[in-house]
Amino acid sequence: MKVKRKKLKVEVPSMAMGDIAFNLLVFFVILARAQDDGHLQWTPAKAKNIESAGNSKVSIVIDKENKLYLNGQETPVGQLAKAVESNLGKLPAGQRTVTLKVHQDIAAQRFEPVIEAISQAGGDLVHILEEEK
Amino acid sequence: MAIRRNSGLLVEPPSAATGDIAFNLIVFFLVCASTQPDSGRKQQLPKSDQTQKEEQKQENVQVELTRQNIIINGEPTLMKDFVKRMKTKLQGKSRPEDKIVVVKSKPDTPYHHWISVTTRIEEAGGIVTLQLEEEKQVTVE
Repeated sequence: MKVKRKKLKVEVPSMAMGDIAFNLLVFFVILARAQDDGHLQWTPAKAKNIESAGNSKVSIVIDKENKLYLNGQETPVGQLAKAVESNLGKLPAGQRTVTLKVHQDIAAQRFEPVIEAISQAGGDLVHILEEEK
Repeated sequence: MAIRRNSGLLVEPPSAATGDIAFNLIVFFLVCASTQPDSGRKQQLPKSDQTQKEEQKQENVQVELTRQNIIINGEPTLMKDFVKRMKTKLQGKSRPEDKIVVVKSKPDTPYHHWISVTTRIEEAGGIVTLQLEEEKQVTVE
């Protein structure tokens, strides 16, 4: 006598689909932000009456170790103006914000050429500071 | 005969998903924390122009910064008197080009000092312009 094998139905549990999609979304969001400058160490200078910097396409950091970064990538100061200009492209005035994050103890001989480069590239400079209490 | 309703049913949330929920919550707060908007101060700098006339430079207020000190047109000034003195210097100047304040910093001037002075210049109604020392290459034979 032949014994019939019982057919088992195997299905992918659809319950987890939402979780999987959400985790994938979060993964790609973090990956997209991996090129930012969040990992750099710097202490902002303090000032009164500061306001929101808004969105910016270009972020420049001079960290504790006196190193210069453009959008998270170390950049020599001599190439900064061209790099900022190419990042800003043909954006209209008002959308050409360049955020500058300088460690509070960095000397003028380091940060002033950076400010000049932003000015040359036609960027709208915003110093990122901490509210003085 | 009265039928007794079975009230002994216990509905428990599935404990298998607790780990996933905790993980998702951690990731959510991590992403929220890393996307906090920056705040700061806008600064409008006139585009650098190397052909600026020397006479015009003379007319503008000059602020020299050292590591700790401030000098306005050659006179040392305390930080607490700075805004008052700057307002006096800029009094009666209505055109934007007259309100230009030339800031010349010593190479070792720290950023926090520079920021506090330039903030006060703008508070007094001045327009900050930087005067950078030109790099000169000297060949020694």
